[in-house]
Amino acid sequence: MRQTPLFRKVLIASANPLFGKGLQQIYRQRFEAVEFLLTSSMEETLAQLDRWQPDLVIVDYDDKTIHREEFLSHFITGQHPMQVMLVSLRESGAVVVYDRKTLTPAQADAWLSDFQSNPPSKRSHPMKGNTRHLFIAGGLVIVATALMYFALLGINLLPDQASTQAQAIDRLFNAHFFMIALLFSLITVFIGYSLFAFRSKPGTEDQPGANMKGNNTLEIIWTLIPLATVLIFSFFGARNLAETRVADPQAMEVKVIARQWDWVFEYPAYGIKSNELVLPVNRQVLLKLTSLDVIHSFWVPEFRVKQDALPGENLVKELRITPIKEGNYTVMCAELCGGAHANMNRPVVVVSKQEFDAWVSSKVNAVTADPVERGKRWAELSGCLSCHSVDGTKLVGPTWKGAYGHTVELTDGTTLISDDAYLYTSIVNPASQLVKGYPNSMPGNYADQLSDEQIRDIIAYIKSLK
Amino acid sequence: MRKIFQYGLVRGIFGQILGMALGYGLVTVLQLLSGARLRAEPAWVVGGAFGAIGFLIALGAFTDWFRMAKGENVPEPEEIEEPQGGKRYWGLSYDHKVIGVQYGFLSLFLLVLGGLFGLIFRTELLAPQLQFLSFNLFNTLIGLHGMVLIASILMGIAAISNYIIPLLIGARDMAFPRLNAFSFWVAVPGALILVWSLALGGFETGWTGYPPLSIRGPMGVQMFFLGVWLVGWSSILGALNLIATILRMRTPGMSMFRMPILAWSVLATSIIALTATQLIGLSFQLVLFERLLGMGFFEPSNGGNPILFQHLFWFYSHPAVYIFVLPGLGVISELLPVFVRKPLFGYKWVAMSSLGIALVGFLVWAHHMFAAGMEEYLRVPFMYSTLLVAVPTGVKFFSWTATIWQGNIRLRVPMLFILGSIIIFLLGGITGPMLGTVSTDLHLTDTYYVVGHFHATMFGGYIFPFFAALYYWFPKITGRQMSEKLGQWQFWLLFIGFMVMSLGQMRIGMLGMRRRIADYDPAMGFQIPNIIITLAGFMVAISVLILFINLYRSARFGKVAVGNVWQSRSPEWQIPSPTPQHNYPVPLRVVGEPYDYAGGSEQYVELDGAAPAAHAAD
Repeated sequence: MRQTPLFRKVLIASANPLFGKGLQQIYRQRFEAVEFLLTSSMEETLAQLDRWQPDLVIVDYDDKTIHREEFLSHFITGQHPMQVMLVSLRESGAVVVYDRKTLTPAQADAWLSDFQSNPPSKRSHPMKGNTRHLFIAGGLVIVATALMYFALLGINLLPDQASTQAQAIDRLFNAHFFMIALLFSLITVFIGYSLFAFRSKPGTEDQPGANMKGNNTLEIIWTLIPLATVLIFSFFGARNLAETRVADPQAMEVKVIARQWDWVFEYPAYGIKSNELVLPVNRQVLLKLTSLDVIHSFWVPEFRVKQDALPGENLVKELRITPIKEGNYTVMCAELCGGAHANMNRPVVVVSKQEFDAWVSSKVNAVTADPVERGKRWAELSGCLSCHSVDGTKLVGPTWKGAYGHTVELTDGTTLISDDAYLYTSIVNPASQLVKGYPNSMPGNYADQLSDEQIRDIIAYIKSLK
Repeated sequence: MRKIFQYGLVRGIFGQILGMALGYGLVTVLQLLSGARLRAEPAWVVGGAFGAIGFLIALGAFTDWFRMAKGENVPEPEEIEEPQGGKRYWGLSYDHKVIGVQYGFLSLFLLVLGGLFGLIFRTELLAPQLQFLSFNLFNTLIGLHGMVLIASILMGIAAISNYIIPLLIGARDMAFPRLNAFSFWVAVPGALILVWSLALGGFETGWTGYPPLSIRGPMGVQMFFLGVWLVGWSSILGALNLIATILRMRTPGMSMFRMPILAWSVLATSIIALTATQLIGLSFQLVLFERLLGMGFFEPSNGGNPILFQHLFWFYSHPAVYIFVLPGLGVISELLPVFVRKPLFGYKWVAMSSLGIALVGFLVWAHHMFAAGMEEYLRVPFMYSTLLVAVPTGVKFFSWTATIWQGNIRLRVPMLFILGSIIIFLLGGITGPMLGTVSTDLHLTDTYYVVGHFHATMFGGYIFPFFAALYYWFPKITGRQMSEKLGQWQFWLLFIGFMVMSLGQMRIGMLGMRRRIADYDPAMGFQIPNIIITLAGFMVAISVLILFINLYRSARFGKVAVGNVWQSRSPEWQIPSPTPQHNYPVPLRVVGEPYDYAGGSEQYVELDGAAPAAHAAD
């Protein structure tokens, strides 16, 4: 394929006519629309330099009739942009290009002395065995990556995994560990290998390295591959975040109130306040965080996730955690809050559902010993009273007034006397014995939300409503 | 007594004390006259501001401008022949080289101060419980450690930029020499006021100064705000000057893509510093006013929003990280070709990656706030933008590696520090994405992992390159070379010490040690790691001590630097060392590529009529 040439007017100076003809032929095969002028003597060349004003002058380096000093001093005084190329046929590959814009007398001096002793083309050292070097270094990168990745997994970098959120996050951590191992190995191995293979030997400190100025293809590759990698990481990062935020509508709500320098936890469903956060295992808890003074941050390392607690009524922040492992943990304030920030810790205890219920009862019993009183409270806190009246009014569900000890007719036509067992089943599995005339709209999950003790308290309350 | 006042610094400090007394007195008198309750805080704030002005007036930074305002003639800075000798370093000078060295002194002074603060609280952390610090003092020290060292870094990059950039681009001086002197000297009272916060009860907020904590704490926080505010002026004006210098003062023939690569980094840094620094000044100023005048910007009980502060603060303080590291990365790119005798791989890509980092750096600030309770829909977009920083940074790493590949590597001390900075900045870089993806950040934010990560970026991106630059350009300043032997000792102590410290911090952070805690629960098993980290910290301190010994001894007894000591193509090495007063005797001419160490072009620049230093050495 013929290309548009960079030079339109080419002057070839050589006493040897074959030099000019041969070059001209090679040039014409590759480029079109080029004017040629062949000169064979010094005078002619200099005259044509001024008159014809060529873009490129090709000088036969082996031609002794061309006086290079004189030629160059003529060349550098001109204004017209021009390049000179010195070509040697005896030493194949010895080609030097000079640009008039940048060639100056001092440089020409340097060039002349340099050129006589050693032709410039031999100066830069060839990249000997580059492929072999690349293969060795590449192999070492793979080995180093593997070693480092397994080391990172092996040295136990993360605390216990005690929540479903932690499980998801740790998967992302592992992906990061791999990238860290890969990138660290890639750069350090190549640099380390270079130090080993390309370090200057004594006496050769001033020798040049390979003349490698850059490579746009490589640069584009190592721009696009990282770009794709970060986009993929971001995408999976977003998915991972979503996984930690999956909301369970049955989540137990706990209000977390931070202040300098302590935590208080409120369980609105039970009306409990506590200085330790007791959580049932395998049930999502929805923390609603707020602060009374400055910014604090809720963090249990084993749960992974963290959320700042801000002062201000309109700045209540939420955090969802599903503990999966029973044990004792610590909530720590992670945002510098002055003074005794370091000691702003409180215990977090994850227990089985039974133990949790027992803890709730003990807390509540500490408030009041009267089961009727407690039952009234559970009914209020659990939303029972929005559907069941206590004064005989008909709401969505049957009234509780006189609900105990009376005959009830169910939708399937059977009748029975309402007793403890009936009331208990109605609470934990309401659809199994609907009262005639009422819709099947009561949630079936009170067994999860209320402990047995609470349910018994509610029954005691219902009994008291005569 | 009169003799001592010939030193501008002494005059300035005297003026600052006077100004402070004046401001304090004025406010107190006004309070007395108005019958208001006497409050010390407004008096100290106004006193601090007056003190800074007093310093600059007594120093003489305003004298020429006052004369201009009166219509008097003042000489052009480049016509002034300043007396040579050591004394000029202690007062007002318009010579960019003197100012560069002054920045260097201030930077090293603050480095020692900030480092000492660090050592004090690291010693406290050797054991659980409080040993010899109070909670208040501990919290103050961690905040001062951060901010004093940030000031030190700003001064350090200004030292490199001021001394080197005009030399690299063949300018006689900076574009605005008077402004240049002002930029430096405004930082001095700023730094003094910053440290003065210790005397006024300290502050408990850390360097971030988050309200509402900073609205409630002791009033030392006001001095902290004021000091940062003043140092910010230094940064903004210095950046303005550098941008003008790089764009307008290049020697003929030096196109943008023929500039030494350091000029690109400094340009990118200066663009960030010029446009972002206002935001930290503003956010601190708002808290200062909120404390002083009860304006409810950030306190929720006054109708403010504390999250707003964090947005304003990080809009500067994230790009600030790139302000700190870009010049260092530029030093790496600048020095590598000299020591591997090979062109910088992909010059244009490296130059553009600096601008790329600067640009992307503006779009990522909210990744500091993933757990802060900002609007939740902001988290994922900021995750994407944050991770994008990896792309231009990666271009730099790959280009450096390719530059080293197939070079003829000379392991001189500056090269050791350059290699150290590449490895450590790499460590800082690759530990970043974990903080960039939101869910992993929720675990790591506000832990020692973050501490380890950003110390790695600061050491790799600033400390190591700064030391490399010191060793490399020291002969230009003093005419003598630094000791290679001490340099190697310093390097290995610093490199190993830092690695242990930083990796240790990252590890205990992941395992659950929070940032900024004065005390920790021994049951978590953190005592041994903390002891190791503290010892490694002392190793770093010893390495810096060796640097000071080296600086002092080499300046007095070092080997005289003759000619082009590193065989560099860069123009500053073609003239004698120490650098003559107005740099180049004649304008430079660019005749080749800057890093063509292995190619055909014999020289990068040429000095007509002046004997090249390389020849003088023969």
